[in-house]
Amino acid sequence: MMLFGKIIILNFNVVLVIKMENGSFNIIMFSGTADKLIPLGVLTQTAANMGVPVRIFVTGWAMTVFKKDGPKNANRISKEFEDVAPMLMKGLQDMKAPSWYDMLKSAKEIGDVKIYACSLMSEALKLKSLQDFDPIVDDIIGAASFMQMSAGGQVIFI
Amino acid sequence: MAVINVDSRGSACPGPVTDLVKAYKRANNGDTIELLATDPGIKADAKAWCDRTGNELLGIEENNGEYKVKILVKSKK
Repeated sequence: MMLFGKIIILNFNVVLVIKMENGSFNIIMFSGTADKLIPLGVLTQTAANMGVPVRIFVTGWAMTVFKKDGPKNANRISKEFEDVAPMLMKGLQDMKAPSWYDMLKSAKEIGDVKIYACSLMSEALKLKSLQDFDPIVDDIIGAASFMQMSAGGQVIFI
Repeated sequence: MAVINVDSRGSACPGPVTDLVKAYKRANNGDTIELLATDPGIKADAKAWCDRTGNELLGIEENNGEYKVKILVKSKK
């Protein structure tokens, strides 16, 4: 048991070392509502500003907003925040804040940012090829590929 | 040793830093970037960006809700 415990700690240290060397920011984008897409845009553009590579794995409910002609229909708000959302959305509009989509585009212009669609969900939605997605999507990949590219970096699930 | 002026007034976070990065991409070492912004986040963010990229924050002047950020470009490869 003791030996087993030591091995785990050792592995943990190894993971930390790799994490610092990788330095990438990886986002599993699951939610498809505007209240999650806006922070996706802000975080991605910020990471690009700071020279941090970003890899976004689009899956779950986010799939439909990344398909062809999808982004312009992404105005949904999570049910639990629908009372405060109009005030926030109007505030952003008054500030002429760019949309989450424009933020992702800016991020791709200035930094190392790639957006991938989940192959399982693509199949489930009958989205057969890259042409079925918005041009902002770089490729369709499996979860193993995302695991591999994000290993050691920061991973967040939105 | 050029001075590159960037007007980012009216743009909210993270827009001003993106404007800064765009100017930085066409700058040379020794150039100074002068960024005008109204987003109050720029005070901390300009410093964070300089710390991250190895460029030098020469100073930030604040005047009636407007910020003038001066950065010396020195980390271009």
